[in-house]
Amino acid sequence: MVFAKRSTKDLIIGKTPFFAVLAGLTLLPLLGVGGYWLDVLTKVNLFLLVTLAIDLYSGTTYYLNLGVSFTFGFAGYALALLNIYYGIPIEYSIFLAVPISVFFSLVILLPSLRIRGVYFAILSLLIPIVFIGIVTAQPFSLYLGGEGGLRYKQLFLDFARSLPPGIRLTFLQYSYYYISLVAAVIGYLIAYKIGFSEFGFMLRAVGQDEELAESVGINTLKVKVIGYLISSMYVSVAGALYASMRSPVTVDLVVPANTLVPPLTSAIVGGLGTIIGPAIANYMLLLTYESLWGLIGRWRVIVYMLLLITIVVIKPQGLVFRIYLDLKKRLRGVLLE
Amino acid sequence: MDIDIYKYILIFSIFHSSTYLMFSLGFSMLFGVAKIPNLAYGSLYIFSSYVVYSLMTYLGLEQVVAALIAVSAAGLMSLLIGEAVVRPALKMPVSIFITTLAVAYIFEEFFRIEMGLKPITLPLYPGVTYVLGVPVSNHWFLVLVASSLMFSLLVAFLKYTVLGRSIRAVAESWEESRRLGINPLKVLRVAFFVSGIYAGATGVLLTPLKALTPTAGWGPLFTAFAIVALGGVGSVSGTLIASFVYGFLEQTMTYILGGGIASISPLILIILVLVFRPQGIMGRVE
Repeated sequence: MVFAKRSTKDLIIGKTPFFAVLAGLTLLPLLGVGGYWLDVLTKVNLFLLVTLAIDLYSGTTYYLNLGVSFTFGFAGYALALLNIYYGIPIEYSIFLAVPISVFFSLVILLPSLRIRGVYFAILSLLIPIVFIGIVTAQPFSLYLGGEGGLRYKQLFLDFARSLPPGIRLTFLQYSYYYISLVAAVIGYLIAYKIGFSEFGFMLRAVGQDEELAESVGINTLKVKVIGYLISSMYVSVAGALYASMRSPVTVDLVVPANTLVPPLTSAIVGGLGTIIGPAIANYMLLLTYESLWGLIGRWRVIVYMLLLITIVVIKPQGLVFRIYLDLKKRLRGVLLE
Repeated sequence: MDIDIYKYILIFSIFHSSTYLMFSLGFSMLFGVAKIPNLAYGSLYIFSSYVVYSLMTYLGLEQVVAALIAVSAAGLMSLLIGEAVVRPALKMPVSIFITTLAVAYIFEEFFRIEMGLKPITLPLYPGVTYVLGVPVSNHWFLVLVASSLMFSLLVAFLKYTVLGRSIRAVAESWEESRRLGINPLKVLRVAFFVSGIYAGATGVLLTPLKALTPTAGWGPLFTAFAIVALGGVGSVSGTLIASFVYGFLEQTMTYILGGGIASISPLILIILVLVFRPQGIMGRVE
């Protein structure tokens, strides 16, 4: 794919927002953001990976994969089980849990990839529900922890214990935050590359018209499977990292309300298939949601949902990406003058 | 094995299946018309039940009167949901998942704040009847009668009335029906209203048998989801068959495996069916 070469000035302006946000996120802990908000940001960073996964796959192909929360939770459970039953330290089991979770997500959803539209969405939504049922039901719950979940030593805990008590918690928080930030940045850059690469356009072609895509020589099945693989890899990394940072892994990780709805919302409000929009929306929406807690307490869910409905009803095609483009155009206008 | 167990399973499978049928019918019809699952459908179930509860506790109304008011309220609420959050997002089907889901969370959270998490229940229809020696609460018969009535009414409505036929036409093809002079948006409104009434009636009839909490809407929603997927989208007879398959399987599995895992065994079956026959039992390939 060949695009017109952009001038250096253009390039600098184009990359400014990204580096500004990156610098901001990197310096936040040094500027005194800590405690609760650092935990929230860690979570939001990891959720960025899920948002991007949804955007990369469902946002381009329009195969609405609602089974994301299954992959997320499965990675967490794989991590915990490797640690508990095989004694593999959490630091290493992250690397094992990701391929295991990707493999299982693929095996379970592969047969349904030929199902289209609403049926695919339904089927993928049923999978997390079944998984929750299995984890909490009698014979399996003995091994999988049931409602109480599985407990293990979280990431770096052994090392943290060797530190003086005063800085243990701070060390854990800071290291988790930076791990999540690195994962988010790498994830974003790769997603951006993929989203606008030749492969990204193949995914979009599948989303537009599958038969037409097939007729121009795209192997749609292959594209769908690879797209799904990349997407579940993102979600697995997010799930494994998330679980490694907070000890009991419970079915909460699999409940769609917790791990599917926030990223899906970000993807839609951000503008499906635009990568940048969902990434911005991810931070905006999740941080708004958290700050509502202090403002209106228990009414926050209702207010947030009303806000969300309003945005989606006014602009079903997504809002954030357009605003972003508009702002960038203005910024360019100001800077080039 | 005791022969009584078989009788027990058989009888309660029929009763449970009829409740699934009742709830899935409205969902199925709406699904067929709009090709979109209304995720706020489960909230209409809890909505009508809480309305009955509030009317009875705070205004001291008779249960029947309260139930009628609640069912109509559920119908109107469904209509409102359709107008406010589904219609504007029709162009972008993915968005409807988000808007209806958001509505469901609003209901859940509202009742959590106003009513608390303590389960509530409504009075049962009094009396017990023995069927083949198994004691069955008369309320179950009320449910059975209501669900057969609701099924026949829906079939008759879809088959013999102009409005019902237009619903089927729109379910078939949105574009074609418009060419025939049908206003699809009007039909969608009717579908929302009727499905709201079905959800409301199910809530009113089932809450006496089960405890009601603000999260009680999700279980029936997923069941309806599964049944509609199994029966085939938009097919009323498919919904009937699927409800009974689901009900029998669930009751039998509950006896064999006990609690927990039994409730998801029908879902596993449905996933398998969908993988091999994506359009469901009675659905057609598009």
